[in-house]
Amino acid sequence: MLKKLSFSQIYLLLAILLALTVLASLSIGSIHFNPSEVLDYLLYGSGFKSHFIGTELDKNIFLQLRLPRVLLCGFTGAVLSVSGVLMQGLFRNPIVEPGLVGTSAGAALGASILFVFGKENLFSFTAPLGSFVLPVMAFTGSFLATILVYSIASSFGKVNVFILLLTGIAINAICNAGTGILSYLARDPQARSITFWNLGTFTTADWRSANIVGVSFVGCYLMARRYAKSLNALMLGEEEARFLGIDTKRLTRQLLIINTIMVAIATAMVGVIAFVGLIIPHLLRLMRSSDYRFLIPASALLGAGLMEICDICARVIIPPAELPIGIITSIIGAPVFILILIKQLLKHD
Amino acid sequence: MIELKNVNYRIQGASILKDITLSFAPHRFNVVLGPNGAGKTTLLKIATGVLAPSDGEIRLDNKNIKSYSGKALAVRRAVLSQQYEIAFPLSAYEVVMMGRYPHFGAKASANDREIIENALDTVGMTHKIKQNYQTLSGGEKQKIQMARVLAQIWNQPDDQDHKYLFLDEPTTNLDIRYQLQLLELAKSILRHNTTVIAILHDLNLSFQYGDNFFFLHNGQLASHTDQKQTISKELVEKIYNVKVEKWTSPSLNDYWQFQIS
Repeated sequence: MLKKLSFSQIYLLLAILLALTVLASLSIGSIHFNPSEVLDYLLYGSGFKSHFIGTELDKNIFLQLRLPRVLLCGFTGAVLSVSGVLMQGLFRNPIVEPGLVGTSAGAALGASILFVFGKENLFSFTAPLGSFVLPVMAFTGSFLATILVYSIASSFGKVNVFILLLTGIAINAICNAGTGILSYLARDPQARSITFWNLGTFTTADWRSANIVGVSFVGCYLMARRYAKSLNALMLGEEEARFLGIDTKRLTRQLLIINTIMVAIATAMVGVIAFVGLIIPHLLRLMRSSDYRFLIPASALLGAGLMEICDICARVIIPPAELPIGIITSIIGAPVFILILIKQLLKHD
Repeated sequence: MIELKNVNYRIQGASILKDITLSFAPHRFNVVLGPNGAGKTTLLKIATGVLAPSDGEIRLDNKNIKSYSGKALAVRRAVLSQQYEIAFPLSAYEVVMMGRYPHFGAKASANDREIIENALDTVGMTHKIKQNYQTLSGGEKQKIQMARVLAQIWNQPDDQDHKYLFLDEPTTNLDIRYQLQLLELAKSILRHNTTVIAILHDLNLSFQYGDNFFFLHNGQLASHTDQKQTISKELVEKIYNVKVEKWTSPSLNDYWQFQIS
């Protein structure tokens, strides 16, 4: 049905979906805001109005908690989906996503090291990094884990899906073991933050985290779009892409770096959220096309929108408590993953 | 013209190509022959500039191939390889469109689209453009790939560059009619300022279509000729390690028959 629509028409539909979910996410929660209140606070917060209708407390909850959370959630959804698209393109396989190839687990390990040992007495180089130390640590862990999985899986020439999955499992296990040791060593508050972190959560959202993830997303997204055509050509095969004039080694290196930067930063802020990078691109490929010039922008929009819906669920299922978001994405995502895997294996036999 | 000068290729101590000097004649159907493991595919990778030789030089239109950027090479030569599978659903049209990637930036021009349509028409696949590439038959996939490489080096009136089409065992997995169609097509584009270089396994088809023959054996150029009448029984017997019988037919080409020796 969507096959007949042009790419721009689909972007428009997805943008409307995103706007609706953002609005819903801004209104629904432990405190409900009706749409006129939402609009009022937004106008006040952005300086277009000098007065607001509600109470000071409501205004603060909306502007300091709800709004940054919704933004962080949207950017994170976009980051994970675009990352899934880029990794699937790079590995030439639809089952890849940052949670499966070590990117997220590596970031978690890097961040856990920081949580447990503290910023001050970790390494001599961490002090000058200031508040960037968390993203830097997450990036380092993430990059090392991803590059390890990629080089093992591609060491026999063609990327082998079985070796890829098995290497991903092994590297994830090593990273999780490291994180496990650290939470065992940790004092209680640190251990709690590690646990939360491994399940993914938006409860700690503030303007700082929303801004950092937002800026890194926009930068990486703009870079990623420039590689869309090259990713298309890579579908033909690595050698075939080189016959079309693409420097595949350089492409691989740059995509791994862009991808790791955005996933590591998002993971450093919200923890490990699995399967988003798998489902969103899969849905879009089914709905319309595997053309990366379409998949990159479309998955950013759809990823952000669906992440808002998951976050609304996280907030309303067991009020006043909240479910970690990673649990929700895994419950929905794991069956989809199994379906894709079965489909792929059937095709190979 | 593509020339190889004293090309050697070694990997992990094994010598794959040994001191190869040859030139592929322009506007001709050049055929590279030889048994499995003779180094044909390595030779193709080196001649297309995607693999650097251990030593020796490759010259494309009188310039060292290393002086061309990836894109400059891509608009001059295209390669139909043996890899036809694509892991993602794409329409056949989108696959052919990739052939024009080296020619446009963000968006294909009307001219690019016209070339794609012409290429699809040439291989007779215009009716399949909307179909998911993955659901095509093996022969259809190959025709689409052929359209893609034709679109990549499609010769336009204002374009003075000579073009090269490389074919790596293009007739594998095709029925006899498809094989003939494909080789006829390759032969027909020689008129358009293009040189064809093909690796072939079928000697009879090679002699039927080829103009210029290169026999590789154990990484060496065992023989080279543009006179197919002079290709001896003994040469083929030695290189392929088979017994050969050569029949003369009044209506078709000479026919070669092979037996285990």
